[in-house]
Amino acid sequence: MEPNHPSKSTESDLPTAPGEKSLLEESKVSQERKDRLLDSRLVARESVTVIRPPSFSLGAILSGVKTLVGYRDLLYTLTLFRLVIRYKQSVLGWIWAILQPLLTMMVYTFVFSRVANIKSEGMPYTLFVFSGLLPWLFFSSAVSNAISGLVGYSHLLTKLHFPREIIPLSYVLASLVDFGIACIILSGLMVCYRVPISWKILDALPVIVILVGFTSAIALFLSSIQVRIRDIAVVLPVLLQVGVFVTPVVYSINAVPARFHHLYLLNPIASLIENFRRVVLLGVGPDISMLVSSGAITLCCLFLAYGFFKATEATMADVI
Amino acid sequence: MFDIKVDHVSKRYIIRNNSRSRSIGWPEFAFFGKRPTEIWALNDVSFEAERGESLGIVGNNGAGKSTLLKLLARISAPTNGEIRIRGRLSALVEVGSGFHPDLTGRENIFLNGSMLGMTRSEIGRKVESIVEFAGVSEYIDVPVKRYSAGMYVRLGFSIAAHLDPDILLLDEVLAVGDIVFQAKCLNVISQLRESGRTIVLISHDLGAIQRLCDRAILLHHGKVVTTGTPANVIEHYQHMAMGNQDAYRLDSDSHESTAWCSRISFASAVPGENPRTGYPMIARFGFCTKAHLENVVFTILVYWPSGYLCAQLTTAVSDPHLRIAPGSGEVEFYCPVLEIQPGWYRVDVAIESNGRDIDRQQRCAVLHVRPGKMVFGDFFMDAEWRIHSCS
Repeated sequence: MEPNHPSKSTESDLPTAPGEKSLLEESKVSQERKDRLLDSRLVARESVTVIRPPSFSLGAILSGVKTLVGYRDLLYTLTLFRLVIRYKQSVLGWIWAILQPLLTMMVYTFVFSRVANIKSEGMPYTLFVFSGLLPWLFFSSAVSNAISGLVGYSHLLTKLHFPREIIPLSYVLASLVDFGIACIILSGLMVCYRVPISWKILDALPVIVILVGFTSAIALFLSSIQVRIRDIAVVLPVLLQVGVFVTPVVYSINAVPARFHHLYLLNPIASLIENFRRVVLLGVGPDISMLVSSGAITLCCLFLAYGFFKATEATMADVI
Repeated sequence: MFDIKVDHVSKRYIIRNNSRSRSIGWPEFAFFGKRPTEIWALNDVSFEAERGESLGIVGNNGAGKSTLLKLLARISAPTNGEIRIRGRLSALVEVGSGFHPDLTGRENIFLNGSMLGMTRSEIGRKVESIVEFAGVSEYIDVPVKRYSAGMYVRLGFSIAAHLDPDILLLDEVLAVGDIVFQAKCLNVISQLRESGRTIVLISHDLGAIQRLCDRAILLHHGKVVTTGTPANVIEHYQHMAMGNQDAYRLDSDSHESTAWCSRISFASAVPGENPRTGYPMIARFGFCTKAHLENVVFTILVYWPSGYLCAQLTTAVSDPHLRIAPGSGEVEFYCPVLEIQPGWYRVDVAIESNGRDIDRQQRCAVLHVRPGKMVFGDFFMDAEWRIHSCS
C-alpha cells in the first residue's frame, strides 16, 4: 500500500504557525463541496427573499397573496384538522354540526314567532329564520373562533414561519364547511315545507363568495388586533349579540323604516343575509344593487384588512 | 455568491413594565399604566454567508443570537435594515413544536410538514421515509399525546431533516435527545453540509461549532464583536466569558491558614511564551507554610469557562505522603505534552494535608493555551507512526 497521505503525518516540531497546514486542507475540502454544489444545485431555486421592516404597502399585499397561494396546502391541512380536532373526544361527534344550528333555530322560532310574533313575509317562520340564521351563524362563529386562533397558536407563531393569516382563514373555511352542512339541512326543511327548489338557487353563490370575503376581512382585522389587545375577545360576544338585531336575521328588512334602508344596508352582512334569503326561499335572482354595494364594500374591507394584517404580522411573535 | 446577506440590521423590543408603584385606589387600565422600555436586541449587525458555507453564531445569553435567528427565519421582522436570503430556508428552532397532541403521528407529519413549507404531495412521497427515520412506525396512527418525549422529538427532527432546504438554521437542536439521537442529528447535519447546503448553527456547544462550521461570528450585546475561523472566535468568546482578568487573583496576603499558595504560573518550555497544545508546559506552584505538614497534596484544577472540570495536575498520584517544613517553596509540574485544546481556562489551586483543605482558592488564575499541534477534537493525542509495506 502506498503512503498516499504523507501530509497527515505528525507535524514538524516547529512551534511557529501551526494552524497553516490544517487551514489549507480545510479550504480544499470546502472547495470540493462548492464544486459539487455548483454541479447539482445551481439551477435550483434562485429566488431571493428580502426581509425589511414591516409597512403597509401594495407590494406587501401582493407578495402576501402570492405567498398565501404557495401555502394553500397548509390552509387546506389546517382547515381539515380544525374539523377533525373539533369533535374529537365528544360523544355525538359530527352530529353537533347539525344539532347546533337546528337548536338555535328552534329557540329563535319559539321566541320570535310564538312569543314576540314577528311577521315572516308569508313564509313559514322556521324557514324564514333558518335561512337568515345560516349566514349569520357562519359569520359569527368564524369571527369569534378566528380571533382567538392566533393567540391559541402562540407556540407556533414564535417558532415557525408561515403566512399568519392562514390561521384565522382556516377557521373561516372550517365554518364554511359547517355552513355547507347547514345548507343541506335547510334544503331538507324546504322539502318538508314544500317550498320549491330550483336551479335559481345557484344565484346564491356570489352572495356566499362575498359573505366569505367580508367574514375573512373582519376575522383578519380583529385577530391581528387581538394579538396585541386582548380586549377584543371580551367585547366581541357583546357586539355579536347586538349584530343579530341590526341584521335581518329574525325579522324582515321590510320591518325597517324605508328611510333608514340605505344606512341599514351599508352593513354588508345585512344585505347579504337579505339577498341569501331572497334567492333561496323566493327562488328569484339576487337584488343586484345590494349585491354590488356589498361586494364593493367587501373588496375595500378585504384590501384594508389584509394590508393591516400583513403590516402587523411581522411583529406578532414579539408581542404575543 | 451569498445565500444570506444581513445588512445593518437592528431589532428593538418594547417591553411594557408590569410593576406598578400604586396598586390601591382606582383600578388602573392595564394598557395605559405600563411604562415602555426599549431594548435593542440587535444593533447594526451586518454579515454574509456564502453558498455552501456553514456559519456558527456564538455569544452569551442575551447577546441576540436567537433574535437574529428569528429574523432570518422570518418569525419576526427587523426594526431597521435589510436581510436578503437566496433559496429555500428552513429553521429548526424547536423540533416538534408544531405538533397537535390530539392528532396522530401521520396527521401531524402533514400538519407540521406543510407549516414548514412542504406541499402535501411532497409530504406524501416522504412520509414513509420520515416515519422510518424517526423509528416510530408502530405508533404512527396513535395520537402524539401518547408518545414518549423521545419519540416526539425524533419525529419532529425527522420531518425537518426531510425538508431539503437550501439554507438550514439550527438553534440548539443538538441539546435535546439522547446520545443516539444526537449522533443521528450530527450525521444529518454533516450530510447536508457535505451536499453544499448553507448552514447557520447557533449553539452553546463550542465543540459542535468547531466541528461543523467553516466560520463563526461572536455576538455580544446585539453587536458583532468578531468574525473569523471557529477556533479564533471561540477563543475570543472564551476570553470574553472569563470576564475581567484582574478578578482572577491569588489571595496571597491572608495568613490565617498554616499554608497557602503564594504564586501560580504557567509557561511553555520556551521562556516567555504561553503554553501550546501538543508542546511541553511547565506549571509552577509557589507556597508558604508556617508549620510542619504531613501527607501534603498540591493540586491545580483547570476548568473550561463553562465551569466544567477539564483536567488537573496533582502530586497525590505519585507521592501522597509528602512532608514539608516551614518556609516557602515551589512545586514545579512538568507536562511533556500539553493535551488540552487551545483556549482560555480558569484555574483553582489547593493544598491539602491529611485529607483536609489547608488552602483552596477558586478562580485564582487564568491559563491561556495557544494553538499548537492539534487540528480537531477535544484532546491532542500524541502518537508515533510508521507505515508497514504490505507487498
